[in-house]
Amino acid sequence: MEPVIRVENLKKYFATPGGALHAVDDVTFSIEAGKTLGVVGESGCGKSTLGRTIIHLHESTDGKIFLEGKDITKLKGRELRAAREKMQIIFQDPYSSIDPRKTISSTVMEPLKVSGRYNRREIAEKTAELMGLVGIDERLRLAYPHELDGGRRQRVGIARALALDPKFIVCDEPVSALDVSIQAQVLNLLKKLQQDKGLTYMFVTHDMSVVRHISDDICVMYLGQVVEKCPSKELFAMPLHPYTKALLSAIPSTDIDNPTKREILKGELTSPINPKPGCRFAARCPFATEACEQPQVQEEVSPGHFVRCCRIREVN
Amino acid sequence: MAEKNPNTDRPFLDIKDLVVEYVSDGETVHAVNGVSLHLERGKTLGLVGETGAGKTTIAKSILRILPDVGAKICGGEVHLDGENLLELPEVEMRKIRGNKISMIFQDPMTALNPVQTVGDQIAEVVRLHLEHGDRTDPVERAKEMLEIVGIPAERFSEYPHQFSGGMKQRVVIAIALACNPDLLLADEPTTALDVTIQAQVLDLIADLRNKYNTAMLLITHDMGVVAQVCDDVAVIYAGNIVEYGTKRQVFKHPTHPYTIGLFGAIPDMNEDEEWLHPIDGLPPDPTNLPQGCAFSPRCPYATDECRKEAIKVYRTADGHDCRCCRIEAIAKKEG
Repeated sequence: MEPVIRVENLKKYFATPGGALHAVDDVTFSIEAGKTLGVVGESGCGKSTLGRTIIHLHESTDGKIFLEGKDITKLKGRELRAAREKMQIIFQDPYSSIDPRKTISSTVMEPLKVSGRYNRREIAEKTAELMGLVGIDERLRLAYPHELDGGRRQRVGIARALALDPKFIVCDEPVSALDVSIQAQVLNLLKKLQQDKGLTYMFVTHDMSVVRHISDDICVMYLGQVVEKCPSKELFAMPLHPYTKALLSAIPSTDIDNPTKREILKGELTSPINPKPGCRFAARCPFATEACEQPQVQEEVSPGHFVRCCRIREVN
Repeated sequence: MAEKNPNTDRPFLDIKDLVVEYVSDGETVHAVNGVSLHLERGKTLGLVGETGAGKTTIAKSILRILPDVGAKICGGEVHLDGENLLELPEVEMRKIRGNKISMIFQDPMTALNPVQTVGDQIAEVVRLHLEHGDRTDPVERAKEMLEIVGIPAERFSEYPHQFSGGMKQRVVIAIALACNPDLLLADEPTTALDVTIQAQVLDLIADLRNKYNTAMLLITHDMGVVAQVCDDVAVIYAGNIVEYGTKRQVFKHPTHPYTIGLFGAIPDMNEDEEWLHPIDGLPPDPTNLPQGCAFSPRCPYATDECRKEAIKVYRTADGHDCRCCRIEAIAKKEG
């Protein structure tokens, strides 16, 4: 079956006074219908830009994007609008991503109005249905965002994303601004909606326990590149790339009897502006050698497990 | 308990029945409702809770840096080294801030002055707290502090925007530790940082605490951070401590339904579960707290007894506190 989303060698560079910033550099993957791809990495690694480029909030620099098998990379005007209805996004910050001067129901119904497919009665019906679906009480219909807590606001963002029955949703850190007890409510809701509607998610986050819970496959990004991609379970059981290993070991464990053995990385993310051709992690990598100064290729080391590291055999 | 002040019998930091209120729009926000805490030198106490639970207000009350308008410490005592800070005149308090007690703020992006070099910002604290006759050179001390937190001293004259987030937080730590404080208040010191940088910064804080025998109050919402760094843990909900004990007691035998719920809501790193277990409902409105136990509207074990009057603290034989009148019933149910 054709995957819902497929990207090939996708690149997004931003022009800066210092040169080209390689935010997304040569990313290739696909997501099957009804599955969740988790994208993890540290701030500035390009994970949000990747999500936004796929749904055309940024224009891609190079590479191809396929939605249900159809090349949508260069779509414009009416065709792009039609494609966009199938791709939605839920933003990180529920405080800034909904209009403070609009009531909750008018925020949720806006996509329905813009689509021009529904009359007033249908819009009212669908809005009520959407609010019920995400668990917002009917009496809050005319409330303003400031009257709601973060969890409910994020539910509004989810209802808005669902309005036009999308196939694919980019969830860009949707629970990072929420407290754990509320975070669990929203994660359960997203999972329930996925099961009921067969949605396909790309779930961008920096929280490893969240990504492990929600994803089928996981991409680990470092400075614009995917350094490792494999099924979720495999990533946690058998991480292969040195960066993934360090990332996993840095998570503070709540198990006080088995404190994590941390590999403390030296140094910090280097600049993504005009990066050198070699491995971008080499400067912080304890295993780096001269071979790492050459461009790295993505290699399938076992079925479905991709790693971008030339020293993988020596490291493991 | 070996290091108690010989003059009094008090722990090094001893907070008793602290009550803090804010007034906004004519309504009273009950931010902290009778909190008692204690902490010895060289130890770390984790203060855990959700947004709005009153964690930061407690830290700001210790330093007396609550906003002048609207906030009021209505009662309680804060003893440091035998001295009640809440009774000190402001002049005395100014000598203590940044010197005996210092604070690491959550957001390194806003805690630093963008138009002053990082070196100057460290030297400023040292200069302000120089004792009469002390010949310490503030600039030398600032350079030394930069090296201690892992930043080359050559970067003394650079501005905050030239540093990454993790480096900025290290500058904030250098400022906080420049005068070798006795008490360090760390308010979500790593929340704004990435995990690999968080690991570096937590290690750094722990090293410095051990070296200088500093007492540390660590405010966080991350149970993993608590597990790594703290000796004792206080769980706070709606301005009240609901559970208080050693790290082992709280992590191995969580007793209060809120603490149990909090652990249950975190996705498990070692087990696969289809659904998470959120705590139902929302934290209460602090202008209108429920009668009795503030957690009772969300608590699966609540009965009428919980909604009558303020709940007493129950203490087990080994000193594990829990503010819940249903612990026996819960212990039976949870097995």
